[in-house]
Amino acid sequence: MSAAARAAISRLRSRAGRSLLAAAGIVAAAAMLGTAITVSYAFGTGFERSAERADLPDVIARFEEEQLSDVDRRVSALPNLASRSYRLEAKGIDLAAAGGASERGAVHIVRAGRRGYAVTEGRDLSGRSGEVLVERGVAAEWGVEPGEEISVEGLGPQRVVGISVSPDNVAFPLSSDPRIYLAHEGLVESYGPYGAPVNMALVWANDPARIDVTLEQARAVSYGLEDLRFLTQGGIRGLIDQAAGIVIALLVAFSLVALGSAALMLAAAARAEVERRMSTVGVLRALGFSRAGVVGDYALEATLLAAPAGLLGLGLGALAALGPTTGVLESLNQMSPGVPLVGLLALALVGIVAVVAGATAWPAWRAASRPPAQAMRGPVVGSGRSAPRRSLLPGGALGLGMRLVAARRARLAGTVAVLGAATGLVLLMLSLASVLERLQSDPGVIGKRYQLTANGPASLAPAIREIRGVAAAAPRYEVEAADSFELGEAMRLIAFPGDHTVFEAQPLAEGRRVRGDAEAEVGVGLADTLGLRPGSVLPAQLPSGAEVRFRVVGIVRALENEGRVAYVRPRRLAGATSGADRTIAIRLEPGASRAAVTDALDDLGALPEPAVGGATTNNARFLGTLADMLRAVAAVNGLMCLYALVQALALTALERRPAIAVLRAGGAGRRHLALVFGGAAALVVALAGALGLVLERLLLGPAVTELAADYAALPLRAGAGSVAAVIAGLAAVALVSSAWVGRRVAREPVVAGLRAE
Amino acid sequence: MSVVRARGLVKAFGGGRAARRVLDGADLDVELGEVVAVLGRSGSGKSTLLHVVGGLDRVEGGQIEVAGVRVDRQGERGLTRFRRRHVGFVFQFFHLVPELTGEENVLLPGRLHGDSSAAERRGRELIDWLGLSEVANRLPQTLSGGEQQRFALARALVGDPTVLLADEPTGNLDAESGALVLGLLRDVADSGRAVLLVTHDPEAAAVADRLVHLEDGRLVPGAPEPLHAAAAR
Repeated sequence: MSAAARAAISRLRSRAGRSLLAAAGIVAAAAMLGTAITVSYAFGTGFERSAERADLPDVIARFEEEQLSDVDRRVSALPNLASRSYRLEAKGIDLAAAGGASERGAVHIVRAGRRGYAVTEGRDLSGRSGEVLVERGVAAEWGVEPGEEISVEGLGPQRVVGISVSPDNVAFPLSSDPRIYLAHEGLVESYGPYGAPVNMALVWANDPARIDVTLEQARAVSYGLEDLRFLTQGGIRGLIDQAAGIVIALLVAFSLVALGSAALMLAAAARAEVERRMSTVGVLRALGFSRAGVVGDYALEATLLAAPAGLLGLGLGALAALGPTTGVLESLNQMSPGVPLVGLLALALVGIVAVVAGATAWPAWRAASRPPAQAMRGPVVGSGRSAPRRSLLPGGALGLGMRLVAARRARLAGTVAVLGAATGLVLLMLSLASVLERLQSDPGVIGKRYQLTANGPASLAPAIREIRGVAAAAPRYEVEAADSFELGEAMRLIAFPGDHTVFEAQPLAEGRRVRGDAEAEVGVGLADTLGLRPGSVLPAQLPSGAEVRFRVVGIVRALENEGRVAYVRPRRLAGATSGADRTIAIRLEPGASRAAVTDALDDLGALPEPAVGGATTNNARFLGTLADMLRAVAAVNGLMCLYALVQALALTALERRPAIAVLRAGGAGRRHLALVFGGAAALVVALAGALGLVLERLLLGPAVTELAADYAALPLRAGAGSVAAVIAGLAAVALVSSAWVGRRVAREPVVAGLRAE
Repeated sequence: MSVVRARGLVKAFGGGRAARRVLDGADLDVELGEVVAVLGRSGSGKSTLLHVVGGLDRVEGGQIEVAGVRVDRQGERGLTRFRRRHVGFVFQFFHLVPELTGEENVLLPGRLHGDSSAAERRGRELIDWLGLSEVANRLPQTLSGGEQQRFALARALVGDPTVLLADEPTGNLDAESGALVLGLLRDVADSGRAVLLVTHDPEAAAVADRLVHLEDGRLVPGAPEPLHAAAAR
């Protein structure tokens, strides 16, 4: 170790308390950074990482059972084909293990060739009879491990040889079908040849970027394959997004904003530390040290402090986020981030050290540029005003505290910026939590703008519209149709007379809304399956056998029926609407009484149906895991707020030691000091709260809403309760920090403060 | 009767071979209406004496009684209460809060303790008495040293203390301002308070009723040798 490093360590030790406080700040900011990086990287790259590890095919085709030879003849002729394999998927199979059972088991019988899944524990199927591979979600939920047995309907007990993961669907129990794999060869060994039906083809392309060419040809040669559905990697990701994409996108955005706050705070803390020791800079310069020498010493000290503190903070942040993050990833059948995350965290450590060293070196350089006599007097405080102005701040202890903290405007601005950004983030997080709840129950989140439905003839709609509290009412038709290009693709036609966006307004991904009877908006799922774009023709075979055609004018991000829907006007459905599933959609006025409207519907003879539901996921464990993650991020954020405020107050106390000592000499006790620092804290948190609210309302909320618009209609806006909770939290942070600093200051001898001049 | 009575005060700084007793059996008495000036060379322990009498620091031995309060037996809360009720301090560097006007500095103790109306009335009377009305709304950095020290004196007196402790009150002032401040301290004593003054300033002798000097940790009556001549003048 060099002499300079030894000297720097010795200096850090000599003021152990302050060094630890500074290190604590770096730990807090680094923890935030660690959390942000872990969450961003884990989710941002989760699907691609897992798809690569699992060797996920570029296209998965599903169809009614066909002989392998017939299917392979068509698939092998496809252009851009790298390799292929086939499976038979049997659904609704009874599965039972020691820790759980289901009647909705999905058994995939796999054949030789590329598997399309990764084995995370144990080994892959060998082809011998009696072996089974269990999906990770099932193994976790039922407590199944390799070597144990699982009972499969019709086959009896099978020995689990491994645990697998494939990100082509969300994991059980988020997906309601537990999935296991059996080897075709093993079944033949046990039961003899059972024919060779398959209903899934897995296709790997030479050039995944040109998969559309392969798909186009596949459609052309698919004549005779019933109920054919293609799922590309992009499509799979879309499906996953339906389950958790909204939350993931919001968390990634949240983490990026948190990262900015952490950097700001690191710089503020480092700057504060140099200002704290301004007089030492003056002494060093007076003793003949060069500016570069002084700056080098400070930068070295900062590095020696930042490196271990940053490492600890990053580790703590990553560990805090990793547990809940892994939980969510497992729910999505995705892999943990692994080694690349360590590399990113190492880069972040370098960044932290650079920020701290740089933020220390710059003010040290400025301090070293001052005349030594001036630097020895310490940081310059005071209003700098030559003439007094009537202060808007109150008198007394609180007002004095406010004036003391306001005297350093740049630091006040920095502290307010850090706390304000953190407050905005917390508000955003609370909005997010409320969105998680609404995803389950609020139809508005998925674009449905009506709250009630009723059964009755369409002719009742005008009478329903007259009911007090009803904003709009119209018949809603649902027709289950099939694509009449002989692919047999199932779809749902949803029809409203007039503008359907009054009742259902799914986010528009492309094109425009329906304006006429011959037009249709189709869901992304249907568009992907049939290769539809605005301008395409959608031919639909109605249950009556009649065919109607619509011109596609828009693509919407609909979650209903996996996006395999089309919004049309009812006129072209003609007679089909008489046999359609018809209800009357009822949109209520804001604040209208649902019960009163329901009673009025009863009086009219319309039969009210259960309240309109929300989106997809009703899985408590999944939502619980997400809530854990939000709490972990919030906890780190809260600690950071507390530290930033304590740092600002402690620095104010240090700079104003003489003034505070005079107050104490005049009989100010611990309570008065707490009031002084309470005033200082109150000013900071009041400004930060206002800034946070403005940020959340005008910047963060709209930005994240825009981000989430791909998934659902999410007007992110913290409610009054959330705002009140954040204000209470800020008040608590102010109380704790002012009490702590007041107590700390009161422990110092009064005369020490008087000598500080 | 002495309002300040100290016996056998002991106070040391440092440890081991560097330990030094700045007070080593010091005795002191100050009566109401009296100005006592403590003289002595730099580092002799004059300020320390003032601090222990005013309850800003603790002694390691001896007894201090001020206005009937045994200062050496008080806990931190008791000392805080004692300072609030019985003592006013004036410092060499004024220690005015730079963000507050002169008047706000004077009224600060009263506002801090919540007894603002009476303290405000008294504070304004003091400002008038000290001739500071014209500059009451100015910030400290725009005031002269003498004006700043007078505001500091008003702040020390606003709580109506029994004892005024002044630590080098003229050390940062020109001769004219220093003389003015010393005169005011005399007036304060004449109004019935006890004034304990620590100073290097030989002019202080002119306003003091008694001079004592610190020598080897003990208080000795009279001025130290080099000051005798000046004091005699």
